Amino acid sequence: MHIFEGFLPAPWWQLWFVFSIPVILFGMHKLNKLVDEKREIIPLLAVAGAFIFVISSLKLPSVTGSTSHPTGTGMAAILFGPAITAVLSSIVLLYQALFLAHGGLTTFGANVASMGIIGPVLAYAVYKAGMKANLNFYVVVFLAATIADWGTYIVTSIQLGLAFPAEPGGVVTSIKAFLGVFAITQVPLAIIEGALTALMFKYIIQVKSDVMVKLNVITEESVNKIKGLIT
Amino acid sequence: MANILDNYALASPLRYKNNWLKLFIVTIGMIAGVSSTSPIVPLFIASSMSFATIYFGKTPLKLYSKIILTPASFVLLSAIIIAFFFGSGNELFSFSILGYELAINSGGFNMAILIMARTLGGMTCLFFLALTTPMIELFSVLKATRLPDYFIEISMMMYRYIFVFIDIAMSIKYAQTVRLGYRNFKTASKSFAMLASILFIRSWEQGEKTYLSMNSRCYDGKMTMFHIKRPVKLPEAILTVVYLGCLISISYLTRDYSIF
Repeated sequence: MHIFEGFLPAPWWQLWFVFSIPVILFGMHKLNKLVDEKREIIPLLAVAGAFIFVISSLKLPSVTGSTSHPTGTGMAAILFGPAITAVLSSIVLLYQALFLAHGGLTTFGANVASMGIIGPVLAYAVYKAGMKANLNFYVVVFLAATIADWGTYIVTSIQLGLAFPAEPGGVVTSIKAFLGVFAITQVPLAIIEGALTALMFKYIIQVKSDVMVKLNVITEESVNKIKGLIT
Repeated sequence: MANILDNYALASPLRYKNNWLKLFIVTIGMIAGVSSTSPIVPLFIASSMSFATIYFGKTPLKLYSKIILTPASFVLLSAIIIAFFFGSGNELFSFSILGYELAINSGGFNMAILIMARTLGGMTCLFFLALTTPMIELFSVLKATRLPDYFIEISMMMYRYIFVFIDIAMSIKYAQTVRLGYRNFKTASKSFAMLASILFIRSWEQGEKTYLSMNSRCYDGKMTMFHIKRPVKLPEAILTVVYLGCLISISYLTRDYSIF
C-alpha cells in the first residue's frame, strides 16, 4: 500500500528516511560482498528486480472488482533474503513512483520502510520459522506472503496514525481508524496474494526446481518430496 | 499497465533541458508543498506544474487527467479519516452510527483539505519529473551521486528488462485472455499464477544468458555511458528564479490562511 506524494507532513517523512536509509545502506553493503564474490549475480539481481516491478504492475484478480496490485515483496524476501530485497525494492519503488505514479519521493522513505523493509523481514522470519517447524512448503510460502502484506498494511496504518493523531484518543485511536478502513481491501487482498504466491512457487518447482535449490530456498530433498507428492 | 510514463517522457520536448534544473524545481516544489500550512501553496504548485507539463512538456491532456486520479481512492479514504478524527474547533457536521457519535470539526476539515491539496501538489511535481525526464537522463544524475557502481548498474539493467518482461507478460496475458483464462475468479487466479511463474523462469533464464553474453564481451561490472551536457539557458534560469520568487511570496502571504 503506497503512501502518495505529499501525504506525510513535515517531521514524519524525514523521520522515515532516517529509518530507511541505514537499512538500505546495510543492504548495499551485503550486496557489495555478494557481488565481489560472484559477479554473475548482477544481471540476475537486475532481472529479479525487473520481475518484481512487472509483477507489481499486474492487476490481481479480485472478487470485488476494485483494481489492486500485488506487492511481490514477500516473494522476493523468500527468494533473496531481506537485505537484498530492501535494496531491490527501493529501486522498484523509485521506478513505480516515476513510471506508474504510485507512491512518491518525499514519502519514499516511509514506503521503503513499510514495503521494502518490514514486510520482507516479516516474510523471511515466517518462512524460516515455518521451514524449521517442518510445515508444508506451500503453506509456509502462503503464510509468509500473506503476513508480509499484512505487516506492510499495519505499518502503513501506523505511519499514517502517527502523523495524524486523533484529537480525543491520540495516536492509538487514529491507527485503529486507519487499520479499520484499509482492512476492507487489504485483508482479503493479502490472502489472495499469498495463495497466488504459493501457486506460483508450485509451478516454478514443477518446471524449474534447480533455480530454487540454487537460491537456497529449499533443499534438493524437499523438492523430491514435493514432486513425489504432486505426481 | 501499458501506461508507462517513461514512454511519454521520451517524446517530451522538455527532455532536452538540463536535468539538474528540472530536479531542482521539482524538489523545491515538493518541499514547499509538503511544508506549507495553507492549501493555497500546493494548489498554486499543482496548477503551475500541470500547466508546465501539459503546455511546455506536450503531455496529452487525456493521459494527464487519467493519471492524476491514481491516488484518488487512497487519498479520499485517508482524508475522510483525518477529517473525522483529527483536530479540534467548532463542530461543523455530525451524525451517529451504531451508537458512536462521529463529528467533523473545523480543525479536522482544514487538515483534510490541506492534505488533499498537498498530495495534489506533490503528485503534479512528480508527474512533471516523470513525464519530462526519461530514466536514461536520470542515470547520468545517479552517476554523479556517490552511489555504488553496481547499484546503478543493477538499476540500469532493471530498467531495460522491465520493458522486455512487460512485453512477455502482455503477450502471455493476451494469449490467456483469448483462451478465456480470465473468465471468472478461479480461472483468473490460475492464469495469474501461471503468468507469474513463467515470467520468473523466463527472467531467470534471461539473466543467465545476459551474464554469459556480457562476460564474453569483457564486462567488468561497469558500463560506461555517454551523456550530453546541456547547460542551463538564461531564459530558463530567469523563469526558474521568478517562479521561486512567486512560490516563496505566496507561501509567506498565505501562511495563516484556512477555510474555516
